[in-house]
Amino acid sequence: MTLISLKNIFKIYNVGGEEVRALDGIDLDILENEYLAIMGPSGSGKSTLMNMIGCLDTPTSGIYEFEGEMVQVMDDSQLASIRNRKIGFVFQTFNLLPKATAQHNVEIPLVYANIQKKDRTKMATDALESVGLADRLHHKPNELSGGQRQRVAIARALVNKPSIILADEPTGNLDSKSGSEIMTILDDLHKNGNTIILVTHEDDVAQHAHRIIRLFDGKIIEDSKQDS
Amino acid sequence: MILLFIENFRISLSAVFANKLRSFLTALGIVIGVLSVTLMGTLISGLDKTFESSMSWLGKDILYVSRYEWFSGMEWWEVRNRPRMRSEYVDKIKDRSDYALTVSPVMQRGASLSYEDKKARTEIFGTNEDYMETITTNIVQGRFFTRNEDRSGSRVTVIGDGIKEAFFGDKDPIGKYIKIDDIKFRVIGVLEEQGKFLGLMSVDKQAILPLGAFKRIFSKRGWMRLSVKVPPDKMDESLDEMYSVMRHIRGLRPDQANDFAINQTKLFENQYNTLKIAIAGTGYAITLLSLIVGGIGIMNIMFVSVKERTREIGVRKAIGATKGMIMSQFLMESVTICSIAGLVGLLLAYIFSIFINKFFPSTLPITLSIYAILMSMAVGMISGFIPSYRAANLDPIDSLRYE
Repeated sequence: MTLISLKNIFKIYNVGGEEVRALDGIDLDILENEYLAIMGPSGSGKSTLMNMIGCLDTPTSGIYEFEGEMVQVMDDSQLASIRNRKIGFVFQTFNLLPKATAQHNVEIPLVYANIQKKDRTKMATDALESVGLADRLHHKPNELSGGQRQRVAIARALVNKPSIILADEPTGNLDSKSGSEIMTILDDLHKNGNTIILVTHEDDVAQHAHRIIRLFDGKIIEDSKQDS
Repeated sequence: MILLFIENFRISLSAVFANKLRSFLTALGIVIGVLSVTLMGTLISGLDKTFESSMSWLGKDILYVSRYEWFSGMEWWEVRNRPRMRSEYVDKIKDRSDYALTVSPVMQRGASLSYEDKKARTEIFGTNEDYMETITTNIVQGRFFTRNEDRSGSRVTVIGDGIKEAFFGDKDPIGKYIKIDDIKFRVIGVLEEQGKFLGLMSVDKQAILPLGAFKRIFSKRGWMRLSVKVPPDKMDESLDEMYSVMRHIRGLRPDQANDFAINQTKLFENQYNTLKIAIAGTGYAITLLSLIVGGIGIMNIMFVSVKERTREIGVRKAIGATKGMIMSQFLMESVTICSIAGLVGLLLAYIFSIFINKFFPSTLPITLSIYAILMSMAVGMISGFIPSYRAANLDPIDSLRYE
């Protein structure tokens, strides 16, 4: 089943009177339970594409359908609701709230989803257990290692049972051991039926994916499938 | 919605307490604003109570005829040149006035009282048997003196509750002799306790003597006023009549100005209301000013808070916060700071009011306290609005990249 469908997507910025085409006519279908890596040099538009897929950004023109719904016509609260329920973000810099415990961090999407405190605690605990942090529930980010922080971030991305997980350079700030742990978790999530989209410029990270898209100057220059 | 509210409140509290000093300094204006408005209210409530009890002591249905006007600001020599009041006027007024119910002359001076080894410096009053009609105080023990005792110059006295307490304690003072400036007087009655007039001057330490004895022993030509009791529903008519009666007694020609004055408690009320307006005006001015300054401080610190947490805002948006949710989070923070400030102000006002209460009876008015809290919340809303609006409309992508 097609989860995401991008048709002829343009994102054009006007920088100092000059037109910059961050995305230049992207056509892309992403199916359920795909494991996709978006690659490309900096400035190739991969971040813009990821923001577009993550409903943080809207296209200048083109049609974006998320589970059959037209994203480009949605208002702020509809977009927020998709980000909240359908998409789990994992960032390079983790982006946890520094003053909140691991558990509280994971609970935040559930607060926005208006879920009762009791259920929130249960769901957050389960999500943290699934990434192997059952014993770190009440630690704050600065009491956790980089790998552990990223696992909290993954738990936060997972907790609302989203349709896709969007990971932007998830290992970029980690040492290789923590990085491979994170990749193992993502691999497992994929095996359990999740759809995963990776943005990376590292080939060995991209090798975990089953499909690799290469961007250059806002265009898809390669779309290849590979066996893992 | 309620869940988000609770969460926002939690975030606000942690934000406020994470920056205690900053929050405190920011909120100082609001604290002062709430403090000044509630203290002003306390002060006025206290003044009201004191004033009311003092006024009841004076009696609203009494015209006080004397040489000078209250609060007139007349020069002393002008007053001095006016003829004195005389006790003969009592009967003249009674004859000529239709409204006067009773007329009581009152002379007053300081004297030292003693009983056995106890001494007190106080005011003594010389008056006639009708005096009790012109005051609201009652006799609690014994009796007042009679017309005969007045006319015959009997050395009897009715003492205030304060003198009774000081000299006799729990013992019965009736029939005992006290000395007033070394002259023996027999105690025949005790007045009930009054409290302090305008919170300052105690009226309980006084002694009342028959005018006959007072004049004979202490002064023939002292300062005198006449208390004229009139029907309370005919105050204006009585006042008009009293002016013409007094002019007639004084034999003034139409072109001559009054050489006497007729006062009523209304004059006190006017004076008091002016004072009250002055206090309230000052209080409101200070409050308004500190709330404006405080509000600007809050707005400023909220801009800082939004700036500091730009990245957090980006993250929150990425994981599903709508503009409205972000807006409410920051509005809540600003309202929380202001509410806490308001409560602190109120607490300080309460402490101050206990202190003020030692000087005159006063209470922190509850409605004003509630208004003060609502007011500080409103300041939080207003000054938090623009920063919160800005936070809500931050671009999530830019915010996530913000360092």
